[in-house]
Amino acid sequence: MSDGLRAFYGQIIALAIALALGALIIVLIDESPINVFMTLVRGAFGDQSKIAGTLLQTTPILICGIAACIGLRGGMFNVGIEGQLFLGGFAAAWVGFALPLPAGLHMVVGMAAAVLAGAAWVAIPAYFRARYNTNEVVSTILSNYVAVLLTSYFTIFLFKRPGGWSETPPILPTAYLPELFSFSRLNWGLIIGLALAFFVAWFFRQTAKGYSISMVGSAPKFAEYGGIDVKRQGFLVLLASGAVGGLAGGVETLGIHHRFMEGFAPGFGFDGLIAALLANGSPIITIFTALFFGALRNGSLLLETDTSASREIITVIQALIILSVSAQVLMKRRGDSTAGERRWKF
Amino acid sequence: MEILDKLLNVALLVATLRTTAPILLVALGGSFTTKAGIFNIGLEGQMLVGAFFAVLGSIWSGSALIGVACGVVAALVFALAFAVLVVSFRANEVVVGLALNILAGGMTISLMKAIFGTRGSIVGQKIVGLPKVQIPGARDLLGSWAPLVSGYTPMVYVAFVAVPFLVLFYKRTRLGLYIRVVGEKPEAAEALGISITRVRYTASLLCGLLAGLAGAHLSLGYITMFTENMSSGRGFMAVAILIFSAGDPLKVLAGCLLFGFADAFSLRLQTFGFPSYLILAVPYLVALVALFALSYRSRPRIIRETLESMKKMLSVETKPAETGNNLPR
Repeated sequence: MSDGLRAFYGQIIALAIALALGALIIVLIDESPINVFMTLVRGAFGDQSKIAGTLLQTTPILICGIAACIGLRGGMFNVGIEGQLFLGGFAAAWVGFALPLPAGLHMVVGMAAAVLAGAAWVAIPAYFRARYNTNEVVSTILSNYVAVLLTSYFTIFLFKRPGGWSETPPILPTAYLPELFSFSRLNWGLIIGLALAFFVAWFFRQTAKGYSISMVGSAPKFAEYGGIDVKRQGFLVLLASGAVGGLAGGVETLGIHHRFMEGFAPGFGFDGLIAALLANGSPIITIFTALFFGALRNGSLLLETDTSASREIITVIQALIILSVSAQVLMKRRGDSTAGERRWKF
Repeated sequence: MEILDKLLNVALLVATLRTTAPILLVALGGSFTTKAGIFNIGLEGQMLVGAFFAVLGSIWSGSALIGVACGVVAALVFALAFAVLVVSFRANEVVVGLALNILAGGMTISLMKAIFGTRGSIVGQKIVGLPKVQIPGARDLLGSWAPLVSGYTPMVYVAFVAVPFLVLFYKRTRLGLYIRVVGEKPEAAEALGISITRVRYTASLLCGLLAGLAGAHLSLGYITMFTENMSSGRGFMAVAILIFSAGDPLKVLAGCLLFGFADAFSLRLQTFGFPSYLILAVPYLVALVALFALSYRSRPRIIRETLESMKKMLSVETKPAETGNNLPR
């Protein structure tokens, strides 16, 4: 059996263990696992609009997943995608309602603002990670909390729409991301996500730059001896990852909500990170894992109304999947060296 | 001056100590894993399940003490899962820690809906909170300064008393020394026949114990309720403190006091009409600034110190054995 095939089977077994544990928890909260599972499937793929809804949920998870992939490939844990998404979403919305521009250009400028905001938000953690080796996991997690509070502040204190809701004024129609079909809010965001996934995959596979990033990610010492400026590259990797995280926010506000709302995208950043981890940093596989999580999310909406289970049960299942996959995949790669090497560099 | 008087007084100091306690407890727990060379980002989740099960235990049993015990047990289960995956299965500690945090968030909300049928929060008279400890004689001795030492819930005292104990633990006990050696020079530990696995499991469980207490303090201490994700990043702030303190108990205390003060002070500012969203962000910003500002710490010195104390301890231990072997000849 080839290594790849064995890894694939390992992945499947891990998935089965996680689902079994998930079923056990569902039994514990007094629900039937089969009922919950069927409801999830019906909620995710039951009819045309349900499928469109699943794809709608998949889009931000996919883009956030690609952001995470870029970081993971370069040896960086960008856990701040959630925050970059919020900042990107707000920046795009601001361009949308405050800067009247011609149609088409307006949308592009909005997207660019989202990308810049995402990159800017990760720039300080990225700088300190590159220059002083400051742990980027903690700094990006903490900046998530600041990002959510900051955008809430902008929304409620500076740009609140008159009326009761905690949201900005609606963006001008010139900045809308075009919709794909008439029956759903599904929009070009999905196409952007898919194109980005293929582009990033091509970049890592075919270009010298992509190869050097992967090399820094997998063997930083070797890369340094090979003459790569590891610090500079680490900085740029995090910046790119943050930029894509910001893009995800832009797609959400310009494509779906057409305004910025307080707490508009709960957990997409984390779902994306999990999807990328499950795909082992491959953008192409992330398309499928993001679809899987998108389906779970959309299915969980029906779960809330049709059963007594809470929709958060799917985050339990997601976490269990990651835990069981992490146990077996990473075990193989590490080999049997002393535990000392695993020390995280602070 | 009047504004300053309103901002800085005994009540502010009391509030500082109160807000310091939970983060101090969880950070001291994390010091075990940090010293043992494990990067434990799962503190947040351990604290959250601790808070949830403490409330659950308190409602079921009608006793705050049993509630605290339930919270600790739940946190220990999470700590054990962390140790099994990270130490035995050698999974990536960041991935496992983050996944356990997500699991904790999802699980507590799901259980809340299943048991109480509500979303958001558990409140009510049935939750028995921890009593406040009045130190006898404090009022007579200190007058208006009495609240500074008396009248806190028990976990506040536990947190602050734990600091000197931990200093002694790392300096004077064998387990403390083993934990440090395993963290700083695992090869040396292995060569000396110390079981890295066993030491890291022990450190993880000790960490879970304190994180559980911290969680119980959140939900049964000054407010008796559980809300969704009520640990609200305190576990992550603790990790930030652990990074720049390297798990040293005194430095952990200093870092936590800084946060406690930032927290208490910013709550004061809220009464002066500053926007609440910006004020809520202050503790996270303090954590970030401290993390960045202190991020060029020198590690080699610490390693040298440990090796020296190790040598001292070993020389004391091995001498009698050597003379014993030499005698028969």
